[in-house]
Amino acid sequence: MSQPPPSAGRELANPPSDGISNLRFSNTSDHLLVSSWDKRVRLYDVSTNSLKGEFLHGGAVLDCCFHDDSSGFSVGSDNKVRRIVFNVGKEDVLGMHEKPVRCVEYSYAAGQVITGSWDKTVKCWDPRGASGPERTQVGTYLQPERVYSLSLVGNRLVVATAGRHVNIYDLRNMSQPEQRRESSLKYQTRCVRSYPNGTGYALSSVEGRVAMEFFDLSEAAQAKNYGTFATGGCDGFVNIWDGNNKKRLYQYSKYPSSIAALSFSRDGQLLAVASSYTFEEGEKSHEPEAIFVRNVNEIEVKPKPKAYPNPAA
Amino acid sequence: MAKDPILQVETTCGSLLYELQVIIWDEVGETETDRDKMLLELERECLEVYRRKVDQANRCRAQLRQAIADAEAELAAICSAMGERPVHNTRQSDQSLGSLKQELGTILPELEEMQKRKTERRNQFLFVLEEIENITNDIKGQGELVLPKPPIDETDLSLRKLEELHCHLQALEKEKSDRVETIRKHLCTLYSHCSVLGMDFNEVVSQVNPTLTDPEGPRSLSDHTIDTLDAAVQKLREVKIQRMQKLQDLATTMLELWNLMDTPIEEQQEYQHITCNIAASEHEITQANSLSQDFIKYVEAEVVRLGEVKASKMKELVMKKRSELEEICRKTHMLPVSDSAMDQTIVAIESGIVDATLVLEHLEQHISKVKEEALSRKEILEKVEKWLSACDEESWLEEYNRDDNRYNAGRGAHLTLKRAEKARNLVNKLPVMVEALASKTIVWEQEKGIEFLYDGIRLLSMLEEYNLLRQEREEEHRRQRDHKKLQGQLIAEQEALYGSKPSPSKPLGGKKAPRMSTGGAATSRRLSLGAGMHQTPKPNKKADQRQAEGALSTGRRGLDVAGLPSRKQSMDPCEQLQSPLTRKPFSPISTTVVASKANIATPQQLVPSSKSNAVNEISSFATPVKNNNIIKNLEEEKIMMMMQTPKNVAAMIPIPSTPATISVPMQTAPTPLNNNNNARFLPEKAEVIEYSFEERRLAFMLQSESPIHV
Repeated sequence: MSQPPPSAGRELANPPSDGISNLRFSNTSDHLLVSSWDKRVRLYDVSTNSLKGEFLHGGAVLDCCFHDDSSGFSVGSDNKVRRIVFNVGKEDVLGMHEKPVRCVEYSYAAGQVITGSWDKTVKCWDPRGASGPERTQVGTYLQPERVYSLSLVGNRLVVATAGRHVNIYDLRNMSQPEQRRESSLKYQTRCVRSYPNGTGYALSSVEGRVAMEFFDLSEAAQAKNYGTFATGGCDGFVNIWDGNNKKRLYQYSKYPSSIAALSFSRDGQLLAVASSYTFEEGEKSHEPEAIFVRNVNEIEVKPKPKAYPNPAA
Repeated sequence: MAKDPILQVETTCGSLLYELQVIIWDEVGETETDRDKMLLELERECLEVYRRKVDQANRCRAQLRQAIADAEAELAAICSAMGERPVHNTRQSDQSLGSLKQELGTILPELEEMQKRKTERRNQFLFVLEEIENITNDIKGQGELVLPKPPIDETDLSLRKLEELHCHLQALEKEKSDRVETIRKHLCTLYSHCSVLGMDFNEVVSQVNPTLTDPEGPRSLSDHTIDTLDAAVQKLREVKIQRMQKLQDLATTMLELWNLMDTPIEEQQEYQHITCNIAASEHEITQANSLSQDFIKYVEAEVVRLGEVKASKMKELVMKKRSELEEICRKTHMLPVSDSAMDQTIVAIESGIVDATLVLEHLEQHISKVKEEALSRKEILEKVEKWLSACDEESWLEEYNRDDNRYNAGRGAHLTLKRAEKARNLVNKLPVMVEALASKTIVWEQEKGIEFLYDGIRLLSMLEEYNLLRQEREEEHRRQRDHKKLQGQLIAEQEALYGSKPSPSKPLGGKKAPRMSTGGAATSRRLSLGAGMHQTPKPNKKADQRQAEGALSTGRRGLDVAGLPSRKQSMDPCEQLQSPLTRKPFSPISTTVVASKANIATPQQLVPSSKSNAVNEISSFATPVKNNNIIKNLEEEKIMMMMQTPKNVAAMIPIPSTPATISVPMQTAPTPLNNNNNARFLPEKAEVIEYSFEERRLAFMLQSESPIHV
């Protein structure tokens, strides 16, 4: 049992009792939504370190996201897509996939919930739809393989599937992908995240590499503006990288367990780290799940020009 | 004074004479002779006259007498003819009643009377005879035979005779009426028959005799007519019987067919009125048109239709039996009957050449024979099935053993572990199984005197082949083991030479050997260059993580290498004896120092360290992989290393560079045995299905939740 050093951040009380599949900061407050393999979705208020709400689902919850401060969406291994309303503690089913649903995102641009599932489809849902799964589903889009990760930015949707496929959609025309790509990494895609500036996305693989891609394929757009980003690996480390300068800016001290998820708060001041064994080595004994929220110092994330070594902190 | 006429006459004569004699003659003065002559003449003339008158009177008298006699005779005749006595029998007595005239006077009326009677009687006779004639004519036939009128026997006009004739007449009348009746009856019968047979009554009757058609007019009552009529009736009766029998046969056939084909009752209802008469006798069938040609045709058509249905059902039945036969053959792995023969038979049935029932019998026999044989094969077949499934498990086990990832707790791993254990048990029992099966088969073959064929192949040959394969396989395994040993020795030698340990022998913390197969399109079959780098995509968590990006990158990029997972690694965690051909991920190939740019002191320390375990993990970092610019990346990586805070580089970080020489001989992965001799082995698959961590985790979770353990 290794103790994380104090700079690891504040550990949240009442963490989930089984693996954390994802955690997200709200866009509007310092609420953190956490989905877990213990079949629950939890809402934490980070500032008070308290558990604000808890929803029990029929199976492991594989992903969650906010809609607004009062509601969010969760998906999981019971194949269902749910909307959860925090204050009231109520939930309703927007619809279902045929196999576990791995990812969920909410598109403010389209006003739709987008889910990706191991049934090889991406489905779009209208959360305002009349009751009944039939009415809420807006569309279903077949993917070449099981969906492993999704990311939205603006009107773009990036879908990463098994077999290293990447489909890029324009939400306004989902009839077919805008681009069909193959991951340039040689190993299984782990995660995809779009750049906040909407120019591209980062793709990581189980090998431990991250590829930076751009939507626009023209030469001019390439090699520009990667920005800084954080990655967390099964080694328990969180790294902050400067994409432009291609340097690692910071590495936080090692966390007790694999980094299952990361989320920056809306102002970038906080970073929530889910330290939770991600089953990369199968069933084995592991450290208990923990959620850390740390302050992000500017110095840790500000890009540094080349050649200057980092002063020892 | 009344003068007596005669006196008168005499007077007259006298006077005359006087006159003559005295007066005349005297006057005349006739001579005496003349006078005498004239007086003689006169006398003579007078005598003549007298004589004439007397003759006349005689004649009258004679006539009278004659008349009387005639009358009497006639009377007698009449009386005798009539058989009656005359009223008066005047002739018997001599006593004359009076003068002739009187007599005549009495007879004549009698005669008249009798004549009247006779005439009457005669008329009666005539009447009767006419009647008789009529009737006879009627009887004999109108216009056929007109008999001449029989003459009246005048001599017999007696009542008796009349009586006779009357009787005769009556008889004839009776006969006539009999005939009429007969004819009527016949006609009735005929009418009935015609009605039943659907024939035109009038036509039939007119053929017998045209007169019969008219119920009002005179009819022929002749024998001929009656005979003909009778014959017609008989004939129609025959026809009726014939048709009835035919209909009854048809009905019987219909019943049989219904019975055979389980025809529903609604269909049968329609023909109920026929089948109910199936045992009727001729006279019971009286319904109009129930035996008409049309009707019989109608029934016939139905029977034909039913027959066709039966034929097709027979055909179906034949097909069914045939497929039954095939099924039995298939189940017991016997070769089935040749199809062409059966097809021909089917065609023959359809065209009616061959009777389906015969074929069915044949098939039944065949089926029972086959069943017998199947029964005798049963025991051996069961053993064969066991053997075959054991072979399947054997080949599955082979493949399983080659799979590096088999200890991953992915989907169903729990189940496959159990299956592997069972399979191993089964494989151990295989030789005994095969032996037992072979000996049983031999015994069977001896008993039956024929070979035991399995789908056309001799079972013993199959078993032999299998044994051969097994031997070959075992030899192959042995060879491989030897080869590996050799390899191990070679690498150990190099170790001694170059001081580098190509691969750590034991990972920390009971970690298992790397297991995750390369994702997606990266197959695991490519040869590895550069000292057998075993790349795993999985970022190792703890001690064993190597930072071998540099070497990795160069090695890979230049030569497009992917690590080849060793197939022969034993999965016992305790053993941890890796094949020297494989490497732990990110293990350094060599730990030569980074070149000039390195300001870092720490890397130097790392060089001699061959303890891979001592090295802390280095975070895996990303390099832009867009450009396959080897040099650039290497530079960057070095920079990255430099940028690391001491915190993170607490431990020694080996920074391998591209080894100057690749001294380790190129490694070839042990190719898996080519086991396609045994047809049951599946062909080698190049891809392995990838799963994400979450998928595996979910599978594991579901397993442990499920109460059912295989």
